[in-house]
Amino acid sequence: MKTAPTSPRPLGGVGLGLRWDFLEEVVDGPDLPLDFFEVSPENYMRRGGYYPEQLEKLLCRYLLVTHGLTLSIGASAEPDADYLRELRVEIARTRSPFHSDHLCFSSAGQRSLHELLPLQQSRENVRRVAERAKRMTDVLGVPFALENITYYLHPGRAELPELDFLMGVLEASDAGLLLDVNNVYVNSVNHGFDPRAFIAALDLRRVVEIHVAGHSRKPSGLVLDTHGAPVADPVLQLLAFTLSLSGPRPVLLERDNDVPALDELVSEVQALRKIYDESVARYSATGS
Amino acid sequence: MQQALEGVFAEVVLGPVPSRESLATLCQKHAVNADDSAALAESLERLRVYRELVRGNLREALSLSIPRSMARLGPLFDEYFDRFLAEQAPRTHYLRDVAPEFLAFCAPLWVGDARVPPYLSGLGLHESLHIEVSALPSLPPGHVAAPLSLEGGVALSEALRLVRYRHAVHELAADEADRSVPSQRPVSLLVYRSPEHEVRYLELTPLAHGIVERLLAGDSLGSAVQGAAAEAGSALSEAVLGGAAKLLADLAERGVVRGPARPK
Repeated sequence: MKTAPTSPRPLGGVGLGLRWDFLEEVVDGPDLPLDFFEVSPENYMRRGGYYPEQLEKLLCRYLLVTHGLTLSIGASAEPDADYLRELRVEIARTRSPFHSDHLCFSSAGQRSLHELLPLQQSRENVRRVAERAKRMTDVLGVPFALENITYYLHPGRAELPELDFLMGVLEASDAGLLLDVNNVYVNSVNHGFDPRAFIAALDLRRVVEIHVAGHSRKPSGLVLDTHGAPVADPVLQLLAFTLSLSGPRPVLLERDNDVPALDELVSEVQALRKIYDESVARYSATGS
Repeated sequence: MQQALEGVFAEVVLGPVPSRESLATLCQKHAVNADDSAALAESLERLRVYRELVRGNLREALSLSIPRSMARLGPLFDEYFDRFLAEQAPRTHYLRDVAPEFLAFCAPLWVGDARVPPYLSGLGLHESLHIEVSALPSLPPGHVAAPLSLEGGVALSEALRLVRYRHAVHELAADEADRSVPSQRPVSLLVYRSPEHEVRYLELTPLAHGIVERLLAGDSLGSAVQGAAAEAGSALSEAVLGGAAKLLADLAERGVVRGPARPK
């Protein structure tokens, strides 16, 4: 019988966001050609029963990494201390090598809004959010990373472009970057900028993980980050471009809506692996 | 400024569909400066997109937990959903806990609303208990192989809820289209998670309810049986003691009784 590792292992290769739709199949089935699973800790924290037990079984076979949804690091109120305490326990339980959440706010005072809402891109918010992000490694017991979100509007006047806002927070906090290339693509369409130029201007040394996902287009032309479709070709091309600049970074497929059969998702991850291998080879060949 | 902007955002996504005028009023209320107010006004359509997203997420969480209650409420659900969001809103980090918060908000309002069937609070509670009990934290399973004594307490599984309904909502069909009315009678129900992680339901007699309630409060077994019998107006007869022994054996079989415990 395999035993779970006692300390975090480094993350690498290609992985899949773990969803309850196929959890049982993964637990009961043969080993899959995946390097890791990503889990939303909120789905397992402060609970007992079936799902935490299944997750425990997976720990013996796969590397898990935690990616939170409700830290609300940018809200005016301090992050919830009880939540952070429980999150730390869950991160330790899953032996996640790092923890990530989103550069956004998702609460207003005591109200939890359960959506990733955009922060004003201001110097004040850079200072405020960076100060919190800096503390997270100590609070959570593992390195901390922030994900660039999709935003459909900028709340108020932007004092800084998104790139400067994002990098400002990361540099001032020394946090890692969870680079969601689908979000970069969606934002580039909705706000009219060049996604490659955006990615090329990032400090890619900070990237600890890359996300890809599907999106959809509303009749108005607005592109929504739905995680409800296969990854679109322009996003795959952007992934290849990113990896050819960054070198090897763990790549994760997210699928939260209209979740297809597991073998279909695994095939999609295998296609990502091909892109990963080719792009990393290009990176090595150019000696970047 | 973040506090002002998030105040506007919250009221937009949790409140009525914003118009140019209502948005201007909200910006004023939250002291958003003129520049930012003007920028938000230009993004009115996109604010409505966020409103749809937030409400869609919360509605989905409720429909996973209390689908039959929502179906029976029909258009009234939207009215109460709107009120819940506007007047209280979720407080929890966990989507699975939104339904209990919604039901706690609605329960006192439904009592005074003749349009809401009197059994609906009970049905909502009954539905939401499924997810709640399935997720309750518990110690690792395993019976303690020691006998129970009248002087000692009884350790019960943490993954249970003891509830009372005024209607037999637990007997209603699982079909969302079902509109049959539950009979009006007091019901005591033990909702528990089995060692196999199934949520199960056990209807209890008043005496059994009294015993389990007292054991949960930390009474010794003897005191729990005695107190429950007195409450039910029964003498502490052989039949009562025999019934209590049968109840405990049944609960042990179901994984609810875990073994002896120190009384509190």
